[in-house]
Amino acid sequence: MSTRAWFLAAQADSGCKVAVTNPTDSELVSAALAGDREAFDAIVERHRRHVYQLCYRFAGNHQDASDLAQDVFIRAYRGLKTFKGDAALGTWLYRIAVNVSLNKVGAKTPRPEPLDALMRASDARITSAAESASDAVLREERAAQVRAAIARLPKKQRATLILRMYHDLPHEQIAGILGSSVGAVKANFFHALNNLKKLLT
Amino acid sequence: MKHLTPSELVDLAEGTLDASRAAHADRCDTCRGAAGAICDTLHRASAAADVPEPSPLFWEHLSARVRDGVAGERVGTAGFGAWWSTAMRGFVPVAAAAILLAIVSMTMTLRHEPVSVAPPIASAPVAVGVGADQDFDTAIDANTNEAWEVLTAAAADLQLEDAHAAGLGVQPATVDRAVQRLNSDELNELGRLLQTELKRAGN
Repeated sequence: MSTRAWFLAAQADSGCKVAVTNPTDSELVSAALAGDREAFDAIVERHRRHVYQLCYRFAGNHQDASDLAQDVFIRAYRGLKTFKGDAALGTWLYRIAVNVSLNKVGAKTPRPEPLDALMRASDARITSAAESASDAVLREERAAQVRAAIARLPKKQRATLILRMYHDLPHEQIAGILGSSVGAVKANFFHALNNLKKLLT
Repeated sequence: MKHLTPSELVDLAEGTLDASRAAHADRCDTCRGAAGAICDTLHRASAAADVPEPSPLFWEHLSARVRDGVAGERVGTAGFGAWWSTAMRGFVPVAAAAILLAIVSMTMTLRHEPVSVAPPIASAPVAVGVGADQDFDTAIDANTNEAWEVLTAAAADLQLEDAHAAGLGVQPATVDRAVQRLNSDELNELGRLLQTELKRAGN
């Protein structure tokens, strides 16, 4: 039974037309494990933005980030049986994304985004009337410097910094993703910031 | 009182350190300075907070790529397949290295066999001072070989007197010994080349 049909049946069973229109991740995982491709599509659709953005942080460019994101979801599909549901699906996907990214990008210097692509992105983000094109260029240059410095951090420090700083994950969740203790995550974060400071001066 | 640990400094910068330890930072310039440095770096790092937004079409494209990627696979098949894939990933480079090593070994062995075909001709002058007891690298292509380019560039400013002084000159009987090592095919080819060069010099 497809996800759509499953939803409709569930709606009919419950007599409710609203309650099951937004299935939980666990429900989608169960449906996907039962062979429902649409359920897995729904998982991808729900998490693709966060996974892509995390991959972009490691890869530094759109092309590699999209390849990594694809790889993350393919691995998730293959390993879906191993998802126990004791952590959020998003956390599990983050863990895969960090591992895939560190394995594929960790050993080499990330290839930065071509300048014209950055400028297009920069143009798109000139939201304030007060910000001129040159301000946007300067902002993008500063961002590129920070990204390059982060790319030079040791793997665990890099992952910790990215998850804490840019994905705003609590230390406890980062510890779960990286398989560390909360204390180790905080210490890594401290050393990452210290090293970043040195790299930026 | 003990200084704040790295973990506590992070808590202080994030405003989650408990009051008794935070009070230490009020009195300790070192800890206050360290926490200030963390805040400053956090502020600088925030410059890279934005990820460029891809095209709106990208998201559906990504979903389609994933769909294609898992097409024909059953969900949750990580197991023997994954193990096999990992094992092969490790095996293939090793096998490739072994094959490459075997090819190199065979090439080196064959290079020491008597040459039965005419070697490729170097268009640049033959390096002086190579004794007849040494082997010529028959694979050198003077037009493309980087080592040859480096050699010719280094020798470009070398004067003949300097070369002789450095022992790079042709020693007596070197050419004779080299010719004596040639087989009949190679001698024929050498003769043909000399005649060609003589004809060209005569024009």
